[in-house]
Amino acid sequence: MTGRLTGRTVVVTGAGQGVGEGIARACASEGANVVIAARRAETGEPVAAAIRADGAEAVCIVTDVTSRAAMTRCVEETVGRYGGLEVMVHNAYRGGSPHRLEDADVELWEHNSRTAVWGSYYSAVLAYPHLAAAGARGRLILVTSPAGVEGSANIPLYSPVKAAQRAMAKSLSREWGPLGITVNCIAPVAASPALIGAFEQNPVLKERVEARTSLRRIGDPERDIGSVAVFLASDDGAYVTGQTIVCDGGSFMGL
Amino acid sequence: MATLGDKRAVVTGAASEPGRGLERALRDGGASVLGLADAAYENRAGAEAAFAAAQQELGGPLDVVVHTAMPAVAYEPVDFATVDDARWHAVWEVAMRSALFVLQAAHGQMSGRGGSVVMVTPTVAMSGAARLVPYTTAVEGQRLLAKAAARQWGPDGIRVNCLAPAPEHVPIGVDSMSVSLAAPALGGPGDVEADLGPVVVWLASDAAHFVTGATVCADGGVWMAP
Repeated sequence: MTGRLTGRTVVVTGAGQGVGEGIARACASEGANVVIAARRAETGEPVAAAIRADGAEAVCIVTDVTSRAAMTRCVEETVGRYGGLEVMVHNAYRGGSPHRLEDADVELWEHNSRTAVWGSYYSAVLAYPHLAAAGARGRLILVTSPAGVEGSANIPLYSPVKAAQRAMAKSLSREWGPLGITVNCIAPVAASPALIGAFEQNPVLKERVEARTSLRRIGDPERDIGSVAVFLASDDGAYVTGQTIVCDGGSFMGL
Repeated sequence: MATLGDKRAVVTGAASEPGRGLERALRDGGASVLGLADAAYENRAGAEAAFAAAQQELGGPLDVVVHTAMPAVAYEPVDFATVDDARWHAVWEVAMRSALFVLQAAHGQMSGRGGSVVMVTPTVAMSGAARLVPYTTAVEGQRLLAKAAARQWGPDGIRVNCLAPAPEHVPIGVDSMSVSLAAPALGGPGDVEADLGPVVVWLASDAAHFVTGATVCADGGVWMAP
């Protein structure tokens, strides 16, 4: 069977669960070689094994996205194993607990900055030689959030790091466009462990999110978000760059 | 035009444009203004000390904070593929920590009394620009930090807005025509004091009491999204 991503290699950070797992599974089912870049083998290995059990190709590489050395190793192992890297997806994020901005300390800032923004920087700069070699099949996809446009009242430090990713995608799309590489963001709302946990802590938030969502359901990480990543990663998405695709069932409409 | 007659204001990055012109505009608007040139905002204590010293000099707590300071290295165009950790830190981390600590220090001055914070965020960060990935990433980070602060601090009467000038007002070598194919509707990028000044005075004043979390583009009519 030939899929839309057959012959391409996709690295997904934070793929041990949630949206990252959904993107990885969707890409694998379209024929890609998928690297599950997860911080912990306990989450990453089962995702890779499940994909292989479905007859698709995946491997887990334990990766801390805040470490240049770890990200370098992840990219090198990927290219060594599969012969190239066409699609880099940075999804990993940590630090999203509610806080007051006036009380935010350096440690909380660093959690947000290191995973979302340094992780994006490493994903981009270390994948670059391989994306450039892939030319018109080269893709960088950053997973951001509607909160990076709207501003979050509950998790204020989440907003700047998610906005930073959008800006990075815009500028990189202009810088790398001449090579054929596209750079985009996906801003999902999906039933990830993080969101489910937030809903359990705050049932009112769940009601408000559902009421504001046009389609009246919370997205499925693979079917609803992964499919958008597949579109961007495939030839179908070749003329879309510098954009943020909001996949939230019709909640935020401010773009 | 003494709309700021009872306000005490500071402007960070006042040693160069656009901070210098905005400082003059606030003074012309009637505020007691202190331009802060070289304070260390990269840690919270440094930002708080700078604002405490300003409070001392101006004779009371601050009502208006305009943040324009940006590390000079941020303005250097650079091929992204050559950006190393030291440069990423010097632009992204320093710019963002400075913005965070300036906001927190402003909150300390304004808590229980209200006030107005204005961050200067050139339009080029919204449009994106090749060879300016570190700079545009940091500026959009600052813009959304302002929005998040606006959402949390509204109940305290603290307003936080962004003023987005044309790219010509920062030394990045980019002109308005790279932000949009259309020429500036009002003829050009304008003058900081004469054209951007009235906007910052308005945002600082009580006339803008119902405006927070906004990005006001005063770029001569180039960037019109949304």
